[in-house]
Amino acid sequence: MGGPNVMRQQFANTLLQVGQEDPRLVVLVGDISHFILQPFAQACPGRYYNVGICEPTILSMAAGLAKTGLSPVVHTIAPFIVERSFEQIKLDFCYQQLGGTLITIGSAFDYSNLGCTHHCYDDFALLKSLPNTQIVYPASPEEFDALFRQTYRSGKVTLVRMPSHTHGQMFRHDDIRFGTGVRLTDGSDLTLIAIGPQLRHALAARDALGERGWQTDILYLHTIHPIDTELIRTSVRKTRHVLVIEEHTWTGGVGSEVLRATRGIPRVQHAFLHLPEAFIRDYGSYEEHCERLGFSRHGIIKTVEREFRASPALVAGSRT
Amino acid sequence: MMTMMNNDLRRKIIDVVYRGKDGHIPSAFSIVDIVALLYREYLKVDPRHPQDPNRDYFILSKGHGCVALYVVLAERGFLSQRDLDAFCTSGGILGEHPDCTKVPGVEASTGSLGHGFPFTVGLALGLRILGMTNRIFVLVGDGECHEGTVWEAANVANNLQLGNLCVIVDWNGSAAQLMPRDDLPAKWRAFGWKTQVVDGHSAPELGAAFDRIVFQPAGTPTVVIARTVKGKGVPMLEGHGVWHHRIPTAEEHQQMREVLA
Repeated sequence: MGGPNVMRQQFANTLLQVGQEDPRLVVLVGDISHFILQPFAQACPGRYYNVGICEPTILSMAAGLAKTGLSPVVHTIAPFIVERSFEQIKLDFCYQQLGGTLITIGSAFDYSNLGCTHHCYDDFALLKSLPNTQIVYPASPEEFDALFRQTYRSGKVTLVRMPSHTHGQMFRHDDIRFGTGVRLTDGSDLTLIAIGPQLRHALAARDALGERGWQTDILYLHTIHPIDTELIRTSVRKTRHVLVIEEHTWTGGVGSEVLRATRGIPRVQHAFLHLPEAFIRDYGSYEEHCERLGFSRHGIIKTVEREFRASPALVAGSRT
Repeated sequence: MMTMMNNDLRRKIIDVVYRGKDGHIPSAFSIVDIVALLYREYLKVDPRHPQDPNRDYFILSKGHGCVALYVVLAERGFLSQRDLDAFCTSGGILGEHPDCTKVPGVEASTGSLGHGFPFTVGLALGLRILGMTNRIFVLVGDGECHEGTVWEAANVANNLQLGNLCVIVDWNGSAAQLMPRDDLPAKWRAFGWKTQVVDGHSAPELGAAFDRIVFQPAGTPTVVIARTVKGKGVPMLEGHGVWHHRIPTAEEHQQMREVLA
């Protein structure tokens, strides 16, 4: 899946390059990625701080940096930024209309053996609940670079959910545009909406679904907030069946956004592959978690067959 | 002990709270002498250019004392009497906690304790990164020092040697109501800060403490721990009783005005 260090290496490379171009970029980390960011620290003296194990204060400090006109980046493990320091994001950044970039590591259950203390699958819901925020979820190095460059001076709080795994697709840098989803395949019967590394499983399921009579539109959303409503509506108007695959809980996830985005389109069947409303207490590898939770080629096919086989649209013969 | 009593500002505070039917009078009385001295004699600020990049910064981390800040900002020309008269009214810019997106001269929106000081640590660091020499003052409450982020920020600021930063603690005894082991000077010294303890209602003592600070981009930060009296200036308000968030009746308002005459 692209190797676990590919994304983090791109993160370090992008910060180094942007930091050399822009003297206003300042990076605060909570004792993580310290060694991989040394090139940035060397090239941008006085603009790299491994502050310590005090995440709420790091968030408040970053807002203070933004107050002076600098562009702060905060980087540490996802729950320590999004959950532990939520009020700092709300009050010190959003309420005061200050912008900054929060780059999390440990997407969803990436830290698969570390238990829920290091899991984070409510980050979309939490950030979306605050004004002046936006969320990107790049699962390839090119996306990380393009989306960071496009957002870090936006004046908003940008959450960059950085996964450890990639989806394996190559996008041209120039084709990656914040806020704009990507349609990878053209089908008439079923819309698969995948985010993050799960695009890999959606693509893997395509042929088998085709053999079962489902020609699929596969949509990939690297921008979670704001969501590309028009792309979703255009596809679903055509297919009338949509399955959303996301490493997030139902509450506040992409699935509920798709429900909202497709309001008013008649005879649409929705299905969702998401995390359960429960802590993941099991251990094992990321791949093992995926398999167990249904995030797999097989899980997607099974969900489509279970949710849509007897759909009224099919019975009525309106699938064309 | 010389005591400076800003009775004029205290009268304005009770007038604003009485008219707006909201606010924390004793908390404002506790800090008003500190805030007034800073704005009258120390802070380089210009109401005509509130965003002047070379200005000094004052952040009221204990945001509930904001009526003291409002009346001082009005005295310095940042706010009008009309602004004060519209305190806590729909369409007004002044609420019970300060909103920096609305109020000229307010540098941070505060209210939830334990935010303003860590925010100010980032502000001080940012100004140093930019090569600026602005001075930064942040006022925290002693009750606010119950918050863990105060000590996270104290630890970070000393480790970063933010010599452009001065914390003022309003040591009015609120914290000790709940946690009596309250040796704040020892705590700040333990965090490595240059620590001064003064009478927070005495202009000469406060001034001497501020004069001793050598503001520099890199150096040990200073804390001025100001011994204060909550509700200072009106006996019925002093202490830790019911007046924390109580609004005076017309009769009580008149009595307070007479005491402060």
